[in-house]
Amino acid sequence: MNITQILFWFLSVLAIVGAAGVVGSKNPVYSVLWLIVVFFAISGHYILMNAQFLAIVNIIVYAGAIMVLFLFVIMLMNLNADAEPAKNMNLKMAGTIAGMCLMLVFVAALSRSDEMNRVSQMNGGDIGLIGYLGKVLFNDYVIPFEISSVLFLSAMVGAVVIGKKE
Amino acid sequence: MSAIIISAIWGVVMMFGGVFLKKSSSPKYWAIAGIIILLIANVMEFFGWQFFNIDTHGMVRFDNFTLVFNTVAFACTLLYFLLNGRDIEKVGNGNNISEYFALIFFVLCGVAISSSFKTLLMLFLGIEIMSIPLYILTGSDKRNLKSNEASLKYFLMGAFSTGIMLMGIAFIYGGNNLASFYIDNLQLGNGTLPVMVGAGLVMLVVSMSFKVSAAPFHFWTPDVYDGAPTVFTSFMATIVKVAGFIAFIRLFQSSFGVIQSQWQGLIVIITAATLLIGNLTAVFQQSVKRMLAYSSIAQAGFMMLALFALNDTAKEGLILYAAAYSLASIGLFAILARMQDYTIEGFNGLGQRQPVLAITATVFLLSLTGIPLTAGFTAKFYMLLAAVKNGHQLWLVIFAVLCAAISAYYYFKIIQAIYFKEPTENINHQIDVNRRFEWLLIIVAGLIVLLGVLPGLLVDWLYY
Repeated sequence: MNITQILFWFLSVLAIVGAAGVVGSKNPVYSVLWLIVVFFAISGHYILMNAQFLAIVNIIVYAGAIMVLFLFVIMLMNLNADAEPAKNMNLKMAGTIAGMCLMLVFVAALSRSDEMNRVSQMNGGDIGLIGYLGKVLFNDYVIPFEISSVLFLSAMVGAVVIGKKE
Repeated sequence: MSAIIISAIWGVVMMFGGVFLKKSSSPKYWAIAGIIILLIANVMEFFGWQFFNIDTHGMVRFDNFTLVFNTVAFACTLLYFLLNGRDIEKVGNGNNISEYFALIFFVLCGVAISSSFKTLLMLFLGIEIMSIPLYILTGSDKRNLKSNEASLKYFLMGAFSTGIMLMGIAFIYGGNNLASFYIDNLQLGNGTLPVMVGAGLVMLVVSMSFKVSAAPFHFWTPDVYDGAPTVFTSFMATIVKVAGFIAFIRLFQSSFGVIQSQWQGLIVIITAATLLIGNLTAVFQQSVKRMLAYSSIAQAGFMMLALFALNDTAKEGLILYAAAYSLASIGLFAILARMQDYTIEGFNGLGQRQPVLAITATVFLLSLTGIPLTAGFTAKFYMLLAAVKNGHQLWLVIFAVLCAAISAYYYFKIIQAIYFKEPTENINHQIDVNRRFEWLLIIVAGLIVLLGVLPGLLVDWLYY
């Protein structure tokens, strides 16, 4: 077992434990903190695959900006355990069973696919480097790149329309 | 390509209009000017005059089908602006008029993308550019709690369906051997479906069915259509929904068309469920607006037949259906938006009070039912013909005809209220119409009858 494999297993366990923590914690602030752990673990995976740009952006945008927003929203809403309405037990059970069924189907289906035998390329390849990414983004994918600006612009106009004082 | 660029630019123009246009009626005229420019540019592109010559790396392609559909969509939007301009000005106490028009132009940009995409990436962008402005337009009546609730519900459910779609795209990208986003290039030619692509296909079916409100993913539709301001319900129930279908059929024909036998069963179930649920629930509605929401689900069931059949007749039928359904619904919603009372009783005695509105509303309702001589009939006929030509599962065709018969019940209930019932005492029957509005309704009704008699006027352009 070389260092890459050790890191891979460590990060995978960390990501899964973190994800379980997000779902399992009673306090929403703890959930957010666990989510940060998940994001860091996934960024670690990106670095293992030599996708440094994605790793950095993942940390800056998700673990940084979006998590701060999450925390703000939770604190503004002032959620705590007593204020939460009691949920129907049957509904919880139904949700769990339905979710488990979906997971079972997907695991059963995907475990037989050919892709399971493929190994991802670790520690090599230049596909995730910033220079390469920039060239691809501004040559082959320039149209979707430009058009996504319309998406963001419409979202911004919408935020102003909703938030503007009358 | 000009449709995408001009609609995006005009959206920005309208956005700045909020700052520079002081008179509250001028944004409407700017928007009408913009949609006319868009329509002309699109028609010119159809005849080979390109304004913008851009190398898109095959990301989008404007073929005949796309351009004819875009022309239909823009023409319907023009009629929508002309009919509803005054009602849009009233939404939310008339504060953000030019922003609403800007958002509608951004939606049109999304419509143009989702009818022309050639890669999954552009499909995602197109669907999202269509959806996000709609979340805001749904909640634009800020003082109305129902509108707020509808907006939040639509946003949360829409976000989940977008997540499912992205997951599906990721599976397809990882599952095909070339790791390619291009929908023509999935290489499913030998008739087998790799497991990962299959999982992605199911997820795409789920998320696209959500966007076009096909059962069992339709639960958001009645609440959202009912809660949104009526003018915007009119827009999203017609042009946007139909554009979703165009994206749906474009995706499944070019990428999964060769292995249709493997997923046709899924579509059959969705189609039958949509037809049954939409029609049966519409029967029990008291509010006309909510009934039209359920009827839009029922009509979606008929449009799903195009996806089931997936041949040339289906494409002709879908274009015709897009025009017929959009025109009739826009007309009906325009009348509804001017009314004070949305229950069926609100229509009582319309025949005596407003003869022009009554006769045009009757034409729209007959077209939605699918009575001969209206466009609704030819559209339904093309759809059923396409399904028969496909040759599988003929019971679905009979089932669709039975469901259309159910739909006659609730559409005719309104016609009955219009002509055979006396105005009710305690309901505010006041309608605020002028001569121009009546003439526009007559034009829309005339177009419906024209397409019903001569469907070739529209369909033949596909083979121009």
